[in-house]
Amino acid sequence: MAASPEQPAHATAGRGTRRGATPWTRRRRVGYAFVAPVFLFLCAVVVFPLLHAFWTSLHRVRGLASTFVGAQNYVRVLTDDAFWHSLAVSLEFTGTCVALHMTIGLGLALLLDQLRFARTALRIAFLTPWMVAPAIGATIWLWMLEPQFGVVNYLLQAAGVIAAPLAWLGVPSLAFASVVAVDVWRGTPFVMLLMLAGLQTIPREQYEAAAIDGASAGQRFRYVTLPNLRYLLVVASTLDVINTIRHYDTIGVMTAGGPAGATEVLPVLLFNTAFRGNRFGEAAAIGVLLMLIVLVFAIFHIRFTRADLENAR
Amino acid sequence: MRTFARHIAMLVTTVGGCIGAVMAAAQQPIVLQWQTANLTESQYEPVWKATIAEFEAANPGIKVEPVLVARKDHWTKFVAAAQAKKAPCIVSVDLATAAYNGYLLPLDKYWQAEPAEFRRAWNPDLLSASKWQGQLYGLPIWGGIYAEIYNRDMVAKAGLDERKPPKTWDEYLAWAKKLTAGDHWATTVLGGKTDTTTRVLLMWIWSNGGEAFNADMTEATFAKNPKSLEAIKFYLGLSTKQNVAAPAPTTTNYLEQTNLYAQEKIASMRNAYWAIAKVDGDNPAIKGKSFVAPGPANIDNAPTLAVVTASSIASSCPNPDAAWKFIRFDAGKKWAVQRAKVANWMPMRNDLADEPEIKADPLLLQFVRIGQNARSYPLPSPIWAEIAANDIVDAVQRALLAPDKTDEIFRDLDARLTKKLRGV
Repeated sequence: MAASPEQPAHATAGRGTRRGATPWTRRRRVGYAFVAPVFLFLCAVVVFPLLHAFWTSLHRVRGLASTFVGAQNYVRVLTDDAFWHSLAVSLEFTGTCVALHMTIGLGLALLLDQLRFARTALRIAFLTPWMVAPAIGATIWLWMLEPQFGVVNYLLQAAGVIAAPLAWLGVPSLAFASVVAVDVWRGTPFVMLLMLAGLQTIPREQYEAAAIDGASAGQRFRYVTLPNLRYLLVVASTLDVINTIRHYDTIGVMTAGGPAGATEVLPVLLFNTAFRGNRFGEAAAIGVLLMLIVLVFAIFHIRFTRADLENAR
Repeated sequence: MRTFARHIAMLVTTVGGCIGAVMAAAQQPIVLQWQTANLTESQYEPVWKATIAEFEAANPGIKVEPVLVARKDHWTKFVAAAQAKKAPCIVSVDLATAAYNGYLLPLDKYWQAEPAEFRRAWNPDLLSASKWQGQLYGLPIWGGIYAEIYNRDMVAKAGLDERKPPKTWDEYLAWAKKLTAGDHWATTVLGGKTDTTTRVLLMWIWSNGGEAFNADMTEATFAKNPKSLEAIKFYLGLSTKQNVAAPAPTTTNYLEQTNLYAQEKIASMRNAYWAIAKVDGDNPAIKGKSFVAPGPANIDNAPTLAVVTASSIASSCPNPDAAWKFIRFDAGKKWAVQRAKVANWMPMRNDLADEPEIKADPLLLQFVRIGQNARSYPLPSPIWAEIAANDIVDAVQRALLAPDKTDEIFRDLDARLTKKLRGV
């Protein structure tokens, strides 16, 4: 039996028997022992809740009693217009937010990268929304957007932009725009931080060489900056999609999915089904479906980063 | 022999240790957690603190631990705890929903053991609102009788006579038009995403002789009953057609409504006695300016709505006897009067009308008078929490945004709710 190139020849002999344990197997056992606590911890906080959620999704839960119903909850959810409506709202919300996070985040990163003064102060200022707890940020915005007493209407009226107060969260289109705006305020700093880190790793020589070759600012951005940021752009947008599609706080606090379902994204539907409808089985089914959607992006993310690492090797 | 002696010594030590531990545990006071939606409200704080202090002094073996939860998280937190079988022992929740889900303990055994004099203080109709499938799951402690609350100054400024408040819809509309001018309005239409929206809608339906549901709660009749639909259109029309209600009704709820009233942006609000304590607290300059009248109606003797809040015991409570002891204490006359005087919560006992402190408060007396013809709320359905805060509010929001489609929207609501009610 040939030894694998990564293992010493003696490692393959006598594996699995205590008497014949080699230093290699002993080292593996020690390794497993070290990994075991983390593995058990992850099982307790990730694997068990996931399995429990899946198990719940196969039951009709009535308070403290539950009955096995197989895939009935999935059938109910998938034949309910509310689910498809929420999925559409979720995709629209996520698509809009991620596009804006990426565009504005990259723009701010480019601006900060160019600045030679007040750089740290501005960086902290731009990062502040990200440091505020989402529910607290959403509550503050809720009051700022209040139609009668909110500062946003006051300022816009004072500046002559609007003639009468707007019901920011009371009209479907405005409510959707408002929650997107608040999410952009909250989510952009994360992208900006990643992009800024990426920009600072681009060798200056590349820009100098491009400039010597007569490249304009736009061409330098297109042929030097973007290719160098390619990896980070994909990673940031994938992570951002995963974060945004399962985000509850902002919409939960500001509109609870209203008005008339205009902002009812999947996590809000899940919450309302579980805690207002007391239908935990159906809510768990929505959760599992949401997890599958997130999983698609997570797999893409893992494959992309792995491929990039292998290319780098 | 030495081994035997060693075993005996070990046995004595173990038994002694166990007895010590049991005795120590026995000396520990029983801790009862108490969660209601309103312990966080400042107007109630002095009352509940005094109640706990006096109860603990009278019952040294029992400690009461308040669980402070924001009103909108109250149900969520209770359900999460109940699912984990760790719910606070004493709770005030949507009774039918909680009982249906097995979260509450039937209280009949405790109730039957009480002296007749105590039991007589609650009328049977009121108690029936705290029953689910014939069993008692809560003791009504306090409530809110809804009425029309007006700002005296704004009414006078509009040239209206507070001694002749509107009795019919037409009179109300005439008042509302006079009370609306510039940046202030006669009232608000509630369309925010909580069940307060549903409470007010139900009152308007009842004021026209309509019904939202059939008698056994198996069918919704918002559109099916022409009187109900007429009432819905009139009420929502105050905003969409008559423009006598403050803008943004789809985001307006109890909090927004009381803020608008406290800031004198609206001249009237459909609310309970507790709202007066809230607006007086928000803006002391408004204190004493409110007067109360029954909501306008198109039929004689139209009922108003009385929110009943009952204290219950969680089914997972390890000390139900002690919990009942506290509920009984909290339901006493003294605390009922205190809640009414300090926090503006209507007492649910029927033996308080002659209490001097109650008689001396004209506003409270007026609410008590209006409440003599009240229907209790929440309605007895195990899915009430969901349909009241989700389905009905959703329909109201849609109708406010597309008034031309009101018939269609409420027809859809009837179909959806009937399906849900029959699926229970």
